[in-house]
Amino acid sequence: MSGTPELLYGQRAAASVAVNPAALDTAATETVVIENAEILYVLYEVPMQAALAALPVALHPSIPAIYGMTFVRARDAALGPFELAWCGIACRTGIKPRHFIQAAYSASATAREFFAARYGFACQEAAVSLRETFDRVRGTVVTGDAMLLDVAITDAIPLVGAGALIKYSPALNATRVNGQAALVQLEAAYDFKRVLRGRPGLAAFDGGGLGDAALRPTQPIAGSFAICDLHLMPARFQVDIATPAEAGGASRIQR
Amino acid sequence: MKFGLFYELSTPRPFTTENQRAVIENAIEQTVLADELGFSSVWCVEHHFLEEYSHSSCPDMFLTAVARETKNLRLGFGIGTCVPAMHSPIRWAEKAAFLDLLSNGRVEFGTGRSSTWNELGGFNANVDDTKRSWDEYCRVIPKMWTEERFSHQGTYFSMPERCILPKPMQEPHPPLWVAVTAPGTEFDAADRGMGALILSIADVERNIPRIQEYRARIRRCEPVGSFVNDQVAIANWMYCHPDDAFAVQRGDELVSTFGYMAGQTVEVSEAYPANNYSALGLLGSLRPDPNSPDAKKPVASGLCFGDPEHISDTVARWEAAGADHLIFMIQAREHLPQQDVLDSLRLFASEVMPRFSGASRKAAVSA
Repeated sequence: MSGTPELLYGQRAAASVAVNPAALDTAATETVVIENAEILYVLYEVPMQAALAALPVALHPSIPAIYGMTFVRARDAALGPFELAWCGIACRTGIKPRHFIQAAYSASATAREFFAARYGFACQEAAVSLRETFDRVRGTVVTGDAMLLDVAITDAIPLVGAGALIKYSPALNATRVNGQAALVQLEAAYDFKRVLRGRPGLAAFDGGGLGDAALRPTQPIAGSFAICDLHLMPARFQVDIATPAEAGGASRIQR
Repeated sequence: MKFGLFYELSTPRPFTTENQRAVIENAIEQTVLADELGFSSVWCVEHHFLEEYSHSSCPDMFLTAVARETKNLRLGFGIGTCVPAMHSPIRWAEKAAFLDLLSNGRVEFGTGRSSTWNELGGFNANVDDTKRSWDEYCRVIPKMWTEERFSHQGTYFSMPERCILPKPMQEPHPPLWVAVTAPGTEFDAADRGMGALILSIADVERNIPRIQEYRARIRRCEPVGSFVNDQVAIANWMYCHPDDAFAVQRGDELVSTFGYMAGQTVEVSEAYPANNYSALGLLGSLRPDPNSPDAKKPVASGLCFGDPEHISDTVARWEAAGADHLIFMIQAREHLPQQDVLDSLRLFASEVMPRFSGASRKAAVSA
């Protein structure tokens, strides 16, 4: 056995990564708090080769490959009420779990602008809905007449005590920072008030519409629904898209 | 203080026959040398589906190979997974007893429950039940070894009366251990009278409270086996070289390689929110400071990297902290040439081990 071992990176060329043209607002310093935010977070396994093909070389995949669907509902926030959804592939920079975002949606122009400027989300306009009903928590994304995503958790049980939290993998968006393309992380903290874990189910999943038809959910893992105070802090770290993960990693955003 | 070796059998890509065989054969060669040098034990993990990180899906088979090549090394399951979707407790009792006979009574039986979605999800295991099934396994396996015939009606395992064979050679049975990663598992070990196999990539001082709490708590234990195993083993890293800075640098490379491999696995807490997996696992100790992820994390002071003097100081601190064993990982994905690993073992055995042998200690006390 000799030579340099093969390492498992994303296989997508940096030049083919869709970068949000909106520049990151590096002047933002305040933390925005959304009280009683509702968050639906559902994870499925997807084929490893599809994940590798979608991830840039700056990121390691998770093993197994995982696809995350996140819905946020703010009933009363400084941004006004909004619902936001994003989908991404579990990945690693260094060893920290993150989700490389494939698509994001909101009907609220204010929310789209805020999340683009603060964290690089390339939000498309769509009707996003997150609702808790008597037997499920359901999230949907509709564009025009097309149901892109319809996901729910059922048979939910409360998580209490030390386990009453969700370890969200932060979203990672391709955007422009100080004139350069970079991956920027959602910087958030959560004060949990209520946490449920349920069995995920997909009623609709338009892979092509969501950005990559090969990312086909295969195996449900778990889903959660939380009510929490969501603290949205200024972005702090960026990752160079083109530098292979082993040589790259996160660095501070220059302000 | 006793010293042992700990094997994950991490394997570089591509997973060719050559690469896979080299990892196993190199590891066996290391254990043979370790046996000759006076190391006390070899431990082998059980992991499944952990690409690169660990190809050690059959620790019983690895330990059997080592048993037939060595004379004195204790043979540790580090650990056998006590999850019904993966193993019946009958099979663990049989395998451990069989190896105990083959090895002339050298088995140490470590237990655990897995902490990755790779494994638990891969076997379609019930994540919520792993702690409880582990507890039931720990209670029935010693009885399978010691009772002529055994039957059980339990929650996660039941069987009609049978004679489980063979019976182990050690009387009354091999020592029982628990893998301790998440904070609080040391209490589980102590309450059951089991040894604590602490996986630590951290500073010595961070482990002192959990060792002290284990020691205090095990005095009031209700042992699940026929005797109390009140030993603390620290799974650690070691690379010994005459040039201290060079050794520390190589050690840092080993830990970084390990972190790269471990980082790609999916800890249960990342994927499946559950009360029994809410604590941060091993990966937490590898992560950089969240406020400065671009900063290089210094090598933890509890790791045994350096020249013999440096390592002796570290071992002495572990000994003062209350550890009985240090069990070393000495390779990561074949990052180090095999000859360097063997030379490191020889230097450690000649320059460090004598300072912590029982004879040396007695002489020092007498003087």
